[in-house]
Amino acid sequence: MTTSTLMSPHQTTTAAMAVDVSKSYGIGDAAVTAVDDVSVGLAQGEFTAIMGPSGSGKSTLLHMLAGLDRPTSGQIYLGDTEITSLKDKTLTLLRRDRIGFIFQSFNLLPTMTAAENIVLPLRIAGRKPDEQWVASIIETVGLAERVGHRPSELSGGQQQRVAAARALASRPQIVFADEPTGALDSASGAELLAFLRTAVNELGQTVVMVTHDATAAAYADRVIFLADGRIVDEMRSPTADSVFDYMKHLGA
Amino acid sequence: MLTSTFRGMVANKLRLALTTASIALGIAFLAGTLVLTDTMGLAFDQLFGKVSSGTDAVVRTQSSYTQSAGIGTTRAPIDARVLDDVADVDGVRVAEGSVSGYALLTDNDGKAILTSGGAPTSGYSMAADESLRGDVTILSGTAPSGDAEVAIDATSAEEHDIELGSTINVLFHGPTRQFTVVGTVGFGGEKDLGGSTSAYFDAPTAQRVLGEPGSFDSIGVAADDGVTQKQLAESLDAVVPDGTEAVTGAAVSKENADAVDKELEVVRIMFAIFAGIALFVGAFIIWNTFTMTITQRSREIALLRAIGATRRQVLRGLLTEALVLGAAASAIGIALGLAVAKGLNALMDVLGFSLPSTSLQLEPRTVVVSMLVGTLVTVAAALVPARRATKVLPIEALREATPGEAKVSRRRAVIGLTLLGAGTAGVLAGLYADASMKVFGLGLVAVMVGVIVSLPLAVRPLTSLIAAPMRLRGLPGELAQQNARRNTRRTASTAAALMIGLTLVVSMSVFASSLKDSFSEVIGDKTSADLFVKPSSAQGLGFSPSVVQEVAEVPGVDTISPSGWGQARFGGADSSYSAVDPATAAGLMRLDLSQGSLGDLGTDGVVVSRPTATSNGWTVGDRVEADFAASGQHELHVVGIYESKGWIADNFIVSLEAQNAFAGPQLVTSGLVSIDDGADKAAVQDAITAVLADHPDAKVLDQAGFEAEAGGFIDTLLTFVTVMLLLAVVIALLGIVNTLALSVFERTRELGLLRAVGMTRNQVRAMVRWESVVISLIGALSGAGLGIGIGLALSRALEDQGITGISIPAPQIVVYVALAAVAGVLAAVGPARSAAKVDVLKAVVTD
Repeated sequence: MTTSTLMSPHQTTTAAMAVDVSKSYGIGDAAVTAVDDVSVGLAQGEFTAIMGPSGSGKSTLLHMLAGLDRPTSGQIYLGDTEITSLKDKTLTLLRRDRIGFIFQSFNLLPTMTAAENIVLPLRIAGRKPDEQWVASIIETVGLAERVGHRPSELSGGQQQRVAAARALASRPQIVFADEPTGALDSASGAELLAFLRTAVNELGQTVVMVTHDATAAAYADRVIFLADGRIVDEMRSPTADSVFDYMKHLGA
Repeated sequence: MLTSTFRGMVANKLRLALTTASIALGIAFLAGTLVLTDTMGLAFDQLFGKVSSGTDAVVRTQSSYTQSAGIGTTRAPIDARVLDDVADVDGVRVAEGSVSGYALLTDNDGKAILTSGGAPTSGYSMAADESLRGDVTILSGTAPSGDAEVAIDATSAEEHDIELGSTINVLFHGPTRQFTVVGTVGFGGEKDLGGSTSAYFDAPTAQRVLGEPGSFDSIGVAADDGVTQKQLAESLDAVVPDGTEAVTGAAVSKENADAVDKELEVVRIMFAIFAGIALFVGAFIIWNTFTMTITQRSREIALLRAIGATRRQVLRGLLTEALVLGAAASAIGIALGLAVAKGLNALMDVLGFSLPSTSLQLEPRTVVVSMLVGTLVTVAAALVPARRATKVLPIEALREATPGEAKVSRRRAVIGLTLLGAGTAGVLAGLYADASMKVFGLGLVAVMVGVIVSLPLAVRPLTSLIAAPMRLRGLPGELAQQNARRNTRRTASTAAALMIGLTLVVSMSVFASSLKDSFSEVIGDKTSADLFVKPSSAQGLGFSPSVVQEVAEVPGVDTISPSGWGQARFGGADSSYSAVDPATAAGLMRLDLSQGSLGDLGTDGVVVSRPTATSNGWTVGDRVEADFAASGQHELHVVGIYESKGWIADNFIVSLEAQNAFAGPQLVTSGLVSIDDGADKAAVQDAITAVLADHPDAKVLDQAGFEAEAGGFIDTLLTFVTVMLLLAVVIALLGIVNTLALSVFERTRELGLLRAVGMTRNQVRAMVRWESVVISLIGALSGAGLGIGIGLALSRALEDQGITGISIPAPQIVVYVALAAVAGVLAAVGPARSAAKVDVLKAVVTD
């Protein structure tokens, strides 16, 4: 195994890790490499943003880290578990029990109320939700009055906050967010990002987010920059301006 | 536009296959039943029509009243001496008398060769002149000659290994005789005459065994060259005696053809009803499918509209799609229809209910009708959803919306419930308020339509009811429930197809069960017989009167009371009648005469049923004119009015003596037997069985055996009807597959989301499966409920016809409902698999 000491899988502070991960589509000359030999560790209790221009492979990397997609080569670790070799069923259960998701849109089942959507992964697992915990999350996302509503009766921002609450409800090891503010206006986006920030600060939640918005990335502790499928740089304690400048430099 | 139409069709192969299958199955049934009726039509034609080709004129007795078939409806015989006069007429090349009658063949072991489907067992005289034989040809051996020779139909010979030269017994009205088989006979390429058995004798022998010496049934005449049928008939008419007429061969053929048509009418209507049901259910599914696919394609349609396609163009595109699909599927359906016809024929054979048949006939009319109906139904079913789709503003459709949400409209609720209420009122009025049967029938139809229209209202409550035990299944069960009630209209119309099938199956079972119940009551309560002598075959027409004599002499037999049956015209209206033995009937049948007595029947008396007496205002002593085909009009007097239909279901009862006098010698249809006090019933039954060894056309049964036989016959009919309706059920199940498959397709993103947040493939499959079960059970439960109601209403409505028992076959209905649930699971297999295969990434990532 080609692991540097920095990224040992036994290091307890690493929530997820990619080791020499590549992903390509197609065969032979027509092959397109979306992610090219990427190794990265994501620290526990940290808010990480993955940035890059369109086609940089940032979403593909996130999907692989989250167990939604499989790398062509390399390994993905979630905590101590190497997930690339897991069978679909085990991987599904792992997603259910240890990972939270926020997608750009269509996060909620239209037939269920907000409250039902929040406890959906727990219900799938057949577990009884921790009422107090769920109530406190709902309180934090500011949806106490809207939990009985169907998604169609909620605004886009409210829907994304329900999705965020769902992502946290099962106390996952790590929350993956794929452009969570992509479909929101700036005020709603800010609310959601503030909520994620709070989750990291106050609950010690690990959050990994893909975004192309410098303002959104500024909420993170660490920003990883991707270009042409490779990690080109990273930044700690970013501000909107510094990220924006760097992105200009990347030519996005 | 056309290109995009075809691309759209091929894009979703599953969708295409399912829609095609539902149209094709509906059409297959229609085409199959048409093929079968045509085939039967030909068989009947052979039976009555083509045999007379080559005959230019027929001389026969006049009759005020004739009927194509039935017992005792043949004309009176004609004096043989008329033949000499006829033969001398100018233009007559040859004239021969013909005789036909009851002749039951037996096989090498002396067992009766029975026919199925009520096809007759007949004997005929064989014309010496070949042109007068019509289509009848000698296939092997020679024509019969002399009083010990017979030629038989080739089917009987082949199926029973009767070789030329062997000796067989043939049963007649009179004594049984032995004959040597000298030839086999074919009928215009067929080996039997529409499923009947035929025995041919020379004319003198036929007169002796089938009719009476010195008379013929009719005289067939062939004309000299250059003499037309009309000329011939006219010159013959001038010489034949009073009470006799000469008609052209063409006229006789037409009479026969009309008679065939009338005979087939019932069968044709029955098949048309089944085909109609299949098509109706099929149309439901086509409608459903088009509604869903067009909803799903609303974005594609909106895009076409956005880039400048006019509404008209889009509509035309969708309708072209329906047209092509309808035509192609109908063509497949016609091909399948031949298989269906074959299958139905085989099925009826297996059930011992076979109709007279010949090789399958695919008439151009069948092709045209099937193509037209299939295509039109498809286009009509596509029209409404297509119009709806093109009405949507392009931008609305491009916007993302929750798939498949719909509310029940107020209008639908009002219309549905109104129909339901009015229909129920009509049915009740028909049953209890003496409203006409038309009101009752319309009421039933209104109830059915009302339930179909308002079924969406029942989806939510029914889902909750069905889902109560399903809560145990956890989240997949709960989601299934939510999905089923998401679009109540879609769920309802999917379930409605199954409901229709089940309603019919269940109502038939309830009806049959009531019928059986009534039958037990009839033979238990309406007769006091210990044993019953019956025709050997459940569909046999009767047995020789000589049986009655012999059974009467069996030790231990106290009385045997024979009865006969026939058709005639009483007081100007065609009706069936029963003929009884006045001396013994009163002791064995409980007819509950409120006035008069059976003993007064004599040869000019008639006992009428209470309803008939009331509606005609007849009382004892009133005169009733009766027309018999064989003997013309007679004046009868009402000698009694009977209250209790059951053993006898006819409105008129005459004496056997009168029947023989008016209709000629007839078969006995049943004999009620009472045994001596203290005699052992089983022993007497054995003794009668022994006597009947020489009479293979009759058998003896005790009450349990009789009930079992009748029950078996009812069950056979029920099985037949059920199998016919099963096709509608199969189409309905296809509809469920269709709906589920399209729902799964529609909910790809939801499924992806569920999979992403941790739902396993098994859970996804379970979810789809349970949704299918919910839909099936909605259909099954509503169908069972409606079916029980309709079955009971039908049974009640026919109380006058002797259906006095009411019975709901609960275990059977529970089995049907359970089977529907299982079928639901099966219907879900494919859609569940594709739901589980949904690509998580594609589903959750916004494109």
